[in-house]
Amino acid sequence: MTTVVAERPTPGLPRPYEFPDFRRDRLPNGLDVLTVDVPGRPLVSALLVMPTGAVDEPPELAGAAVLAARALTEGTQSHDAVALVEATERLGASLHADAGWDATTIGVDVPVERLEPALELAAEVALTPTFPASEVDRLREERLNDILQARADPRRRVEEALIETIYTRESPYHRPSAGVRETVERLDAGVLRAAYAGAANPVGAALIVAGELGDADVRRLAERLFGSWSGGQAAGQRTVEAEPANRSRRVRVVHRPGSVQTEIRIGHIGRPRRIADFHALSVTGAILGGLFNSRLNRKLREEKGYTYGATASFDLRRGAGPFAARAAVQTAVTVPAILDAIAELEAIRSAPVTTAELTAARDFLVGVFPLRFETPGPIVGALSGVVIHGLPDDELARYRERIEAVTAEDVLRTAEANVRPSELQIVLVGDADAFGADLEAAPIGEITIERDEPAVAPAERA
Amino acid sequence: MPDPVRFSDERLANGLRLIVAEDHVAPVVAVNIWYDVGSKNERPGKTGFAHLFEHVMFQGSAHVAKTEHIALVQAAGGTMNGTTWLDRTNYFETLPSHQLELALWLEADRMGTLLEALSQENLDNQREVVKNEKRWSYDNRPYGTWNEKLQAHLFPPEHPYHHPTIGSMEDLEAASLEDVGDFFATYYVPNNAVLSVVGDAETDRVRAWTERYFGGIEARPDIPPLGDLSLPPTLGSERRETVEDAVPLPRVYVGFRAPAFGDPRLDALEIASHILAGGKGSRLHRRLVRDERIAQDVALFTLGFVGGASITAGWATVRPGVEVERVESAFHEELERLGREDVTDDELARARALTESDELGALSRVDERADRLSMFATLFDRPELINEMLPRYLAVEAPTIRDVAASVFRPDNRVVLTYLPAGASKPAEAAA
Repeated sequence: MTTVVAERPTPGLPRPYEFPDFRRDRLPNGLDVLTVDVPGRPLVSALLVMPTGAVDEPPELAGAAVLAARALTEGTQSHDAVALVEATERLGASLHADAGWDATTIGVDVPVERLEPALELAAEVALTPTFPASEVDRLREERLNDILQARADPRRRVEEALIETIYTRESPYHRPSAGVRETVERLDAGVLRAAYAGAANPVGAALIVAGELGDADVRRLAERLFGSWSGGQAAGQRTVEAEPANRSRRVRVVHRPGSVQTEIRIGHIGRPRRIADFHALSVTGAILGGLFNSRLNRKLREEKGYTYGATASFDLRRGAGPFAARAAVQTAVTVPAILDAIAELEAIRSAPVTTAELTAARDFLVGVFPLRFETPGPIVGALSGVVIHGLPDDELARYRERIEAVTAEDVLRTAEANVRPSELQIVLVGDADAFGADLEAAPIGEITIERDEPAVAPAERA
Repeated sequence: MPDPVRFSDERLANGLRLIVAEDHVAPVVAVNIWYDVGSKNERPGKTGFAHLFEHVMFQGSAHVAKTEHIALVQAAGGTMNGTTWLDRTNYFETLPSHQLELALWLEADRMGTLLEALSQENLDNQREVVKNEKRWSYDNRPYGTWNEKLQAHLFPPEHPYHHPTIGSMEDLEAASLEDVGDFFATYYVPNNAVLSVVGDAETDRVRAWTERYFGGIEARPDIPPLGDLSLPPTLGSERRETVEDAVPLPRVYVGFRAPAFGDPRLDALEIASHILAGGKGSRLHRRLVRDERIAQDVALFTLGFVGGASITAGWATVRPGVEVERVESAFHEELERLGREDVTDDELARARALTESDELGALSRVDERADRLSMFATLFDRPELINEMLPRYLAVEAPTIRDVAASVFRPDNRVVLTYLPAGASKPAEAAA
């Protein structure tokens, strides 16, 4: 006969935890060096963060920052691409360069005893990239092919349709950060070289290194490798257009014949990262669509079984990124799922959340904090956010107390200001023939159905 | 080389195996249970059931309400999940270390009393969730059927690896409360489980808590064994299938029957996969993507299984305007060349250096250590493999790679799936 203990255990005393102390030094050329000693973590993460990204590029050259970052490891003055990757691998290191909306980064992960030679390679990539024309041509073709692939993947297609719908053409956020066909076709080695020259500036940039550094003198190393670096122009820090493309509720359907699920996105323009109510917004997002038992997931998954998962989130960037609720639902329940989701978006701003919901969200965000920073990579990632958004150095140290201070009134006020049901854009990728009639009958908003989605690329059809 | 993981290893009277590895660097702890049951234990007409059952495990037990398991773990500042695969079902939580006892209590409550909270409504709800998981992960995804097709070709119909873990819609539809009850009584017993606890915890306290929470759960002495899963080492003949799909670019998938997980030849095959397709320095990437520019991307990896054979699989996405056949033959050429010529010392040195760094990174996380301890104890009765695998990988030499490549990468041991854009073979329609 099986017996178990009915009584739920109470937690023990929490062991004190603080976000790891980091040291910030500034080199004479303006480059900041942030070092974090993390005992017991011999695989070190190092990241050079340059706070210039896709948002700063000219609209006609959208995708230049992302492609330039990809091209950084395609050749330097001392190594061609293959020699560079081989030299990196011999160190047991992985070297990566990326760009997003707000920054261009060059990173390396390596066992601490080989940090110096690995950082030498990273510095070479940062300071002497050659952008070989033939490799740039290949990367551009690969991105153009990727654009074809994205249109065939309902998840990627719906994200692109969402941003096209909620932002005006004047906003960089109207398109993916990696650009669209017309702009990517214009990208050549000269364009990428110029794009990177605009990002590569030690002023405002930071080298962040975390791991079991012991007595490694990272500042001296940084001085040797990056001390002579001088920037071209000062970082742009351009402001981002955030006028909504539509102020009334609309439904846009991208018809995908035979689709067994409908990818649903419901959203509008959200908020930038550097805002006073960041912590209240985080708690609000967790309750609405972040936690497993968030309102959206509880309703659409655990009550209705419409979906494998429903979420909502604010994508916080230098400018106001998108806010969206997301779910992929079986085709037949497309319209009921939309109505349920909209009802939750309305409810979160109509009445205060319960004490249980508030406590669960705050306790999760506070409690999971030490788990997030178990290894060097996420520590470096969090500090890069501090650098990119110009946040105070104690932002992470004070995170938990600020989350603790969020009240139900704060959540209500935040939801009222940041979730606007009348402005919601409902964007769907799915089989419009299967749910079109239901959609017409439901009082959601003006409907547009796009039926001219070729599943096959023009080049393939010829 | 990472420091060896030191752990205790014991069994409760009811057969539950407990493994504890202390690590007080960070105030976090990982709890991980492997049940020795996976989709390989499913019977005909019941495919997908092990995974559906995993979902039911989050629907409450005698002292935990529906959805409360996850709510309690998240409110404790923890993360959690469960996964089902051919050879296993695992459940795990990572928490701030002062919340460890909660996770043990939750796992014990569902191991002991799941059926007390089971209802038709909850089963039906999770059936719909899982059907949507299948749609989302496979059916509505470009190239989404490759895994199911490879398994079906690589393993004969009577072998339990023939069908995918997600199962079929018909079988999911047919799953009943009685099935849940039988499956629970058969496999969800302490003597069929390994509990690993890794992180900021004292071994003695973990042992006492485990005894307190799990000690009263009854064992089942007669867990039905699986039959003989052994297989001929190769397929015997090439199998090919062409699939039309809503994709813009053709893609060639290649799959091979490979040595079982645990066989040192599979270690060599993993190093071989790395040399062939592990990043931008690898042979396939250099030839197909960088030099000849006939592929958009390439991949090659091994999926290790203990029941007779593993899978080595890969793909190349064909660039527009390139003949699919050209990509396929270049892919085969590179794999087969590995069976004729030794890899270079430099290739081997690079693969070893990266393998060592990967291990260093993976083993720095308590959740990964806990999962590997449970895995090695469940599949091989040897948790100490957690410290032995890296030396094994580092000891792989060029002739071993050549031998295993020669025996695996053969035309009579491969499945080739060619995905073509739907309608592309019908020019009249495409022009419309």
